[in-house]
Amino acid sequence: MAAANPAEKSKSQATPIDLLNYDTAKLYTHVHPILLLSLYFYSFRSIVADPISTLSRTLLPLGVLQIAYVAICLPPTGSKDVVVEKRKPGEKKKAAPGKLESGINGKIIPAFLSLILSTLAATPLLFGILILFGAPITTHIFETGLCGAHIAFLSTIPLVYVHGVDGEKWKEIVGLLLPIDEVYGCMIGTMFGAWMGAVPIPLDWDREWQKWPITIVTGAYIGFAVGKLLGGTLLKGKRIKFE
Amino acid sequence: MARLQVSLLALANLLIPVAILVFATGFFPYKPFMPGLATYEDLGWEGKMAWTKEPDPKFDKLVFMVVDALRSDFVFSKESGMAFVQSLIRSGSAIPFTAHATSPTITMPRVKAITTGSIPSFLDVILNFAESDTTSTLATQDTWLAQLKAREGGKLVMYGDDTWLKLFPGFFERADGTSSFFVSDFTEVDNNVTRHVPDELLNSDWDAMIMHYLGLDHIGHKTGPKGPNMVPKQKEMDGIVRQIYEAIENEEHLLNTLFVLCGDHGMNDGGNHGGSTPGETSPALVFMSPKIKKITEAMERKSPIEPKANFEYYRIIEQSDIAPTLAGLMGYPVPKNNLGVFIEEFLDLWDDAADRVRLLLHNARQIKKIVEATFPNLSFSDEFVEDMHCEGSLNSGQELACKWQDIVRAMSSVASLHPQIRVEYIYNFCRTAQNVMSSTASNYNVSRLVLGTSLAFLSFAFTLASLYRRLRDVSASGIFYTLTLVLYCILMFASSYVEEEHNFWYWATSLWFFYLFISDSREQWFKNFIFHPAIMLLFLHRIARRWNQTGQKYAGADDIAHSIIFLGRNSIVLWSLVGATYMDIVLRLAQHVARSLATFISDQSVGEAESTEGHRFMATIAILPLGITAFVFKMAFTARDAPELVLGLNEELLAWLDSTALVEMARMVFGGIALTASWIASAEWKRAVNKKKGRGNGDFAIALFDLAILFLMTQTKAQNIPLYLLFRVQLFFLSKSRSLSTISIRDSNVQLVGYLNLTPLAITLTTLLLTQSAFFILGNSNAISSIDLSNSYNGVSGFNITVVGTLVFLSNWAGPVYWSLAGITLLGSHGKTQRYIDEGELDNRDWIKKEREHLDRLVRQEKREGEMRSGWAGWEEHVALLTLFVGASLVSVMTACTVLRQHLFVWSVFSPKFLYGMAWSVAWHFGITVGLGALWWWVGGW
Ligand SMILES: [Zn+2]
Ligand SMILES: [Zn+2]
Repeated sequence: MAAANPAEKSKSQATPIDLLNYDTAKLYTHVHPILLLSLYFYSFRSIVADPISTLSRTLLPLGVLQIAYVAICLPPTGSKDVVVEKRKPGEKKKAAPGKLESGINGKIIPAFLSLILSTLAATPLLFGILILFGAPITTHIFETGLCGAHIAFLSTIPLVYVHGVDGEKWKEIVGLLLPIDEVYGCMIGTMFGAWMGAVPIPLDWDREWQKWPITIVTGAYIGFAVGKLLGGTLLKGKRIKFE
Repeated sequence: MARLQVSLLALANLLIPVAILVFATGFFPYKPFMPGLATYEDLGWEGKMAWTKEPDPKFDKLVFMVVDALRSDFVFSKESGMAFVQSLIRSGSAIPFTAHATSPTITMPRVKAITTGSIPSFLDVILNFAESDTTSTLATQDTWLAQLKAREGGKLVMYGDDTWLKLFPGFFERADGTSSFFVSDFTEVDNNVTRHVPDELLNSDWDAMIMHYLGLDHIGHKTGPKGPNMVPKQKEMDGIVRQIYEAIENEEHLLNTLFVLCGDHGMNDGGNHGGSTPGETSPALVFMSPKIKKITEAMERKSPIEPKANFEYYRIIEQSDIAPTLAGLMGYPVPKNNLGVFIEEFLDLWDDAADRVRLLLHNARQIKKIVEATFPNLSFSDEFVEDMHCEGSLNSGQELACKWQDIVRAMSSVASLHPQIRVEYIYNFCRTAQNVMSSTASNYNVSRLVLGTSLAFLSFAFTLASLYRRLRDVSASGIFYTLTLVLYCILMFASSYVEEEHNFWYWATSLWFFYLFISDSREQWFKNFIFHPAIMLLFLHRIARRWNQTGQKYAGADDIAHSIIFLGRNSIVLWSLVGATYMDIVLRLAQHVARSLATFISDQSVGEAESTEGHRFMATIAILPLGITAFVFKMAFTARDAPELVLGLNEELLAWLDSTALVEMARMVFGGIALTASWIASAEWKRAVNKKKGRGNGDFAIALFDLAILFLMTQTKAQNIPLYLLFRVQLFFLSKSRSLSTISIRDSNVQLVGYLNLTPLAITLTTLLLTQSAFFILGNSNAISSIDLSNSYNGVSGFNITVVGTLVFLSNWAGPVYWSLAGITLLGSHGKTQRYIDEGELDNRDWIKKEREHLDRLVRQEKREGEMRSGWAGWEEHVALLTLFVGASLVSVMTACTVLRQHLFVWSVFSPKFLYGMAWSVAWHFGITVGLGALWWWVGGW
């Protein structure tokens, strides 16, 4: 519907986000999903046994890991032009300049901001979306809330860190208008994974983990890893077209 | 669509019923039954066994008391109210069993199984709704009723459920049938039976007295197995058992009376039945007589007891075993089509072992005849067969032939062989035969299953070919449609997803609405995104899906329709919502009538006549009686069908409602709808003829749509009626055109039909998702037990299979019918009012340019809509896409039934799904999507 629209192209001129250009970033970006998934599956048993307390306990390490990820690997909001530089083919790789100067201040604030926003804005919003998509409303309120918090931490922390709080930007994010990159892939993957996580619930396997909201959270984590991988490699720079 | 494509589509649609018919005859084969009454036959080996006469009958009279849905635990557990029956078990005057009932666990097939000893096929489900159909009566079949009646001076009397009167027309000397018209009736139905008992116990002329109590079943349907009326009802039944048993003990003429108490089926935790959960398939069965103390001495006589497994009390026998057991005990030949086996415990009533063998051999010979007919190539003779291979792996037919040979060998051996050994061999054969013949494997006609599936696939392929051109333009809606189709077809193989199908539709619909939000946000950001129409649609959908809890896994969980919001004193809330829904429809109808008044009254030469205030007032006065009648009918019906929903209302009003005549009132509503429809039709026709050129804007289609809704509301349970209001708001959000200030002023070569930029394909997909969701939202599921029959006799006093069948369909598919018709009006943009341009709303910077673009765009859009309405192409594509879905779902369901035909769940899950699939593809797709849809499209173009 949209691609035929000339106005739309002018709207989404954003370029995909690149990783910070140093080795630690390139290494950690691959280690991060493995760490996250190990954390999740390490505590899976206890999540099944006691969803509320375990999901709230794992929220802190999840936040720390996500902050570490954005701080190590991603350009903070507004710094894109400084850090991401276009190299001509064949040009020698340079170490990113101004890494230290822009460092602490440029990173702490966006990281803090993304954590606050994910907790205070994204979590209630996702809670609402979960309810709209069929989460129980008379029971399991805390489970749904924590589920929303996990999805928010997975999807919005990196997004806020790199894109900030610019309203126009976020409209494009919701409209799926940005070019796909690692961070956008995380968000789309997490959401899609959470949605797909509803599939096993009605099956008659009578497993403990089929209860709300474990499959949703699991789907979100797996979707995060897959979305991040695809967004950073295969699909990078591609745009979502609804036609 | 080109002519070739239309013919392909027509062909595909014609193939659907053919495919269903072929598949159904292979899946539910018509079992030829053996006509005529059985007589005692030569058994062979008379000399060897020194038989001279038939074994003496042990009883000469029978009292057969059926308590509908009497689950095993209602009699045998600690919580049971049937203390007297339990005391009889302890004293040894009663032998208890759990009588396994096969699916479908609904009354008519169960009565067939009890009386003929056969195992009724799934086709009986359909015949259950066609009870008056003469082919389904048992008048010509061999039953224990026919056998008893055939005896000299044999007389039968019957009180209770009129299913028996329908199945056995003219059989009964005296009878009083009760019908389960209102499930809220817990007492009257039973009192009408009980009042005959004292007199009949004094009469000595009957051979069998049959009673069938419905009250307990009604309590189950209404309040579930743990409802507050359940134990009192059990106590009431227990009192009747005591009354009858004491008469048998004391009355001379009842001395040799056998008293049987049984349920025809059980119930699940929700109090419904039809499927094959342990609760539904485990009715209680008790044989009572002072004479059976003789055989119970050695038995354990504990009562109450704990169940061995779910609802498994005492020994489990088959329900079909009742018929041959009665035959032996009462002394008549085993009914010809019986697959039951004489209950072993009763053999001890005969002291002479030769008598026992004789009794059983009659049973075995009778079953052998059916086995022989099923396996015509195998030998079941009374001679030794030399070259029979009975080692290694045998198929079921060969196994039976070998077991019959064992009987022949045992019977022919030395006379001094211990009789118990012969008994063992005979039981071995009979029980194996019972398993083989009742198991599904031997009954399928696999080649027909494959042929039917292939035909369905052919229909699918033709539809695909007719859509060939469409397939080339890929769009997000197209991908969504394809994924929905593929995923649905895969999920039909998972039994739990068949049971929980609603989850799939809710899940897909939610994403679709959210997609509409994202898709629209790409073009134009909606200021208050929380109130974006797509989000509102999602929100309303979220409420609707909670309205009725459905499916198996969470059956009986909380939902809105059965919550405290509507029950008891709060029923005023429900009735306010219902009243608002009726009010809404009355006001809409008044507008249509006003327009027709304007057409009739005004000067024709002017052409288009607009209705005035006066017209609208007159129209409201004219339509109000219809609305009020419909509303009062709904209240009066509910007062009788579900009194718990009218508790909050005024006493006098209730008394008055009770005095109203429901049948007449329903007829008045239907008549009023028909009258209004023809009145508006004549006006619209006149308007269409007067019009010089061009087409109308489809107002007539909208008028008919609103009338159809009034009809559907009449066919819907009161607690579901507010859903129509909710649907209406959803339809509003789907059809409302974007207000001018927010229309994004950009060129677009995409067809814009309504709000949310729904393309025709998107409208078709929305129709598909909402029709399917609405089916489940109104409380239906893929279980037979969820079929709602309460509204199927509205306006019908006698029994007319076509009318009742149509009403059953329309009351269960009311939601899908609503959205099917709504989809057509969306597609044709029917009833869209003329737009006007308000300059003030335009951005004033370069408003002239923008306005021109606006007008251009609007003119083009209106033109497209007009073209869409006047031709058939848009409708054909809509139907093609829906046919594609029906074809694909049939292929999937049929393949699942074929591949999983040996699966444990085939009768409980996949066969009901196939029956529902039949209804969806024949009644809904043919009748509604194609039939009514074509009518709507046609009148929409007037
Ligand atoms: Zn019944
Ligand atoms: Zn019932």
